Amino acid sequence: MSAEASVEAADSRTWMGVVLAWVFPGLGHFYLGRRRRALFYAVVVTVTFLFGLLFEGRLDWPEPGAPLTYLATFASLGSGLLNIVARLLVENPRGTVLSVTYEYGCTFLRTAGLMNLLLMLDVFDIGRGRKS
Amino acid sequence: MSLLSVVEMAPGFPSALAIGFPVDHFLIMVFYALLVSSFFAVLWASDRPSRTRLFTKIFGALVLGALAVAWLMYPFPS
Repeated sequence: MSAEASVEAADSRTWMGVVLAWVFPGLGHFYLGRRRRALFYAVVVTVTFLFGLLFEGRLDWPEPGAPLTYLATFASLGSGLLNIVARLLVENPRGTVLSVTYEYGCTFLRTAGLMNLLLMLDVFDIGRGRKS
Repeated sequence: MSLLSVVEMAPGFPSALAIGFPVDHFLIMVFYALLVSSFFAVLWASDRPSRTRLFTKIFGALVLGALAVAWLMYPFPS
């Protein structure tokens, strides 16, 4: 394999890892052979996300006239399939505003998404050889 | 089976109160700090001793920092 072809293969492997990391927490690390770390990340991000739902937080979605909801949606959608499946399964994706745990729930859900976005960057760094 | 019928069959998701999870501000804050600090310890440090040190630092900063802010805000009326 020529040097150019091997760089191209490493590149596509990196991007595949990044996409998989978005699909499910830890999947990108698993794909790149970091299996123990993958398991740890999958557990931590999934637990954070599930507690966000337990605390009746909101699965953010943009609202016209409320610019911060766009940022919140970006953070929230970082958790990939977890977010999409939860949107289909929970009775009230907008959360229960009157619940005492609502704000905690929102924080947990956004944190899970942001953690997963960081994991995508980590997978990119591993794929590019900047990190072991 | 259509997607709609799967969604209609979905039992929904229980709330923390419904399953008897203790809803306590400090407990939830400590739990949150635990998750976040363990995540960053593994993400940012590569060996066990440095992970432990980083975990302790982040966890301590989150919990003690929150307590300090709460203490500073105590005199202010709600």
